[in-house]
Amino acid sequence: MAAVSQSGGSKVASPRKSLFDDRRILVLFLLAPVLCFFIVFNTIPTLWLLGLSFHNFSLTSGMPPEFIGFRNFVQIFYNKNNIWADLSRTFIFVGSAVSIQTALGILLGFLFWGSKNMPGRRIALTMLFTPMVLTPVATGTFWRFIYDPTFGVLNAILRGLGADHPIDFLGDPTFAYWAVVAVDCWMWTPFMTLMTLAALGSVPKAELEAAEVDRLPWWQRVRLVIWHHGKFIIMLGVLLRTIDSFKTLDLIIPMTKGGPGQQTRLVAVELNKQAFESFNMGFSSAYAVLLLLISIAMTSVFIYVLNLRRRKDSAAGGET
Amino acid sequence: MTQSNHPEGRNRFSLPRRKLLKGAGAMTAAAALNMPIASRVFGKEPHPLAGKKIDMSILGIAGWLPSSLGVKMSPLFNEYVKEKYGYEVEFAFAEAPFSDLFQKAATSLATRSQEYNIIISDSQWIGALAEPGWILQLNDIIAQNQSLQLDWYSQTVVDTYMIYPDGTKNIWGLPQEGDTIALFLRKDMLQDPAEAAAFEKKYGAKLPQTFEDFEDLTMAEFEKVADHFNRPDDQIWGTAMQYSRVYDFVTCYLYPFMFSQGGEVWDAATAQVEGILNSDINAKAMEQMKSWLKYQPPGAVNYGIAEQIDVFTQGKVFSCFQWAAVGLAMITEEMKDKVMVVAPPKHGTGADARRVYTMGGQPWVINAYNDQEKMRVAIDFMNWWYQPETTLEFARRGGNPCDKPTLTRSDFDSINPWNQAYKFMLEPGRSRDFWHHPKYAEMLAVQQEAFTSYMTGQTSDPMQALTYAACQQQQILVDAGSATIDPTRACITANL
Repeated sequence: MAAVSQSGGSKVASPRKSLFDDRRILVLFLLAPVLCFFIVFNTIPTLWLLGLSFHNFSLTSGMPPEFIGFRNFVQIFYNKNNIWADLSRTFIFVGSAVSIQTALGILLGFLFWGSKNMPGRRIALTMLFTPMVLTPVATGTFWRFIYDPTFGVLNAILRGLGADHPIDFLGDPTFAYWAVVAVDCWMWTPFMTLMTLAALGSVPKAELEAAEVDRLPWWQRVRLVIWHHGKFIIMLGVLLRTIDSFKTLDLIIPMTKGGPGQQTRLVAVELNKQAFESFNMGFSSAYAVLLLLISIAMTSVFIYVLNLRRRKDSAAGGET
Repeated sequence: MTQSNHPEGRNRFSLPRRKLLKGAGAMTAAAALNMPIASRVFGKEPHPLAGKKIDMSILGIAGWLPSSLGVKMSPLFNEYVKEKYGYEVEFAFAEAPFSDLFQKAATSLATRSQEYNIIISDSQWIGALAEPGWILQLNDIIAQNQSLQLDWYSQTVVDTYMIYPDGTKNIWGLPQEGDTIALFLRKDMLQDPAEAAAFEKKYGAKLPQTFEDFEDLTMAEFEKVADHFNRPDDQIWGTAMQYSRVYDFVTCYLYPFMFSQGGEVWDAATAQVEGILNSDINAKAMEQMKSWLKYQPPGAVNYGIAEQIDVFTQGKVFSCFQWAAVGLAMITEEMKDKVMVVAPPKHGTGADARRVYTMGGQPWVINAYNDQEKMRVAIDFMNWWYQPETTLEFARRGGNPCDKPTLTRSDFDSINPWNQAYKFMLEPGRSRDFWHHPKYAEMLAVQQEAFTSYMTGQTSDPMQALTYAACQQQQILVDAGSATIDPTRACITANL
């Protein structure tokens, strides 16, 4: 506020103090909406979930929740479900899907990076990213039709190529699991391409030119220059895909619903079954808590590894 | 008052307009003031909702014609109550597929919401809806309303759609849509003389042609018919059943193999499953059902209702075991003259052969948390639904009523092509429902997994799949406090 000189005196009005002059209050004020949102939609439900996991509560019993301590957790590992099979299936799913997506994504990323003058590049990129923006339920549904042995286009192509018998991709235990992995890759490889393009964009041009002047072989250029600058972005992409793959549900429900038998029953599918088919709210809450802990553990390991490398890199930088 | 022909005026005896209006106003006021007395004198209380407009909501099954008929016919109800009781109703329709409808209803009712005033439930959910007190027990309402005291076509209707727990007289639902499994056939192929001759030459027997021929047909005999029309090279297969893991699809189609041959799924009195579900009869039934896959299109292990409709209407299968409720979808305009609907075959051989198929269909249930006004409309709606003209209209639009007066009408069989088969299967002993237990959803999810595991070949031994389902279900019932018999030690290793 501008100082106002009073006639006949040297008195200057002191500027009016605003509540937001205190930086802490301003920060708190700016953060308040997000914090409220976070507390209402994240913290409270999570605490509620945690509390419910120690109760026996079925939505269809009409009985109030009954405190049973750790019995739900014991049941998960003891006799109620084959969680180990579900977990191993999930880890294989995550491992295979994310590996394929990363490999293909990096390959496509390099392809697009190296073809900046290619005509139609933008259209090709837009088309490439389309699967990623589709709703997984819609994707699952139309892939179910594509895979259909009677009406599906994939079998029609195979027939055209001379196949004697149609393949029941989603009904045959030999194919179902990999058919779902393939769709997940079709959907999420573009994400890894996007991350690769972002990583490549972060590489300083001067260093690349220097490597070229030094006539470094391509693999050394990738290792020493590109990977050095882009690894954090790519690793972040891998981390996000790992967490997301671990929760895969919306793709599987319209495609196989966990079948044939238990072939595609991932942990999220079982959780969905317990909560919204069997209405075991207590048990499913315990299951959800367990999955949350696994997700947190995986994320922590990832972040630790990333930080470890970063610390090593900065230490190496300091020494030089 | 008659009009005068007096030449000097339009109407010599007519009252002045103002006087007439005053008189009419006075009469209306007097009538309104005297209404309660008049009502009492003539025994007609005004309807408590007279003059009001009420918003109602029905929750039904998405993509299920009989369910939507309940709403499509609601304008008729509006006319009815407007004329009879003097109030208006605006209906909204919420829907979800079979597999998600209970979830939608349960989560709403658990919060004591009256978001859905009337619900089209599935018959097996009655226990789960009644036990927490979410739906209204209807005994008193039926006792007070003459229109609801109907003569149902058979006890099967009462046991399936109305009663919980089984064997009691507690009524919680009223049939909205009756449903049984029927056999839809390509009449044009069946009645082709060349096909009949070829069949007779190959099997030394006559190709069944009429409804009556199929009444006594066994599965073994029908297998020859399915085999005869099974031509994968021409992209036509013999039949289609449901093997899908979704909701209760494979269960409803496996049970006829079990029930018809004497298999049981549990002892309702003691809630014992282990040793009953995993019996030799049931294991054999599973093998038999799986063996029928060779007459079905590839991918039939994933078939549910919609897939069956697709393959039948597109001419990919000669026959289809399908719910009578989807008759309208199965018999498209271009297939109108090419389809006949008969009773599904018996299981077994000789004098022991019999058919016990699974009941389908849905009851109406009423939200117990409805306020007084909505409750009143819900009861009026039920009274209207079971008026003879309403049930007949329902049948004419493709629905399956369950009351004896409508089903025994001389013209009922001819209203829809599937009516004769539906009525035939509704006779006592030919169709039956399964658990109405509150743990229905949980028990179903377990056995759907087990049955499809065997059908798809993930589990090679039917007894292994049955034992897994039986052990899991036994534990569920023990946890729920319904069973006192714990799973045996054999259950420790039971897995798929």
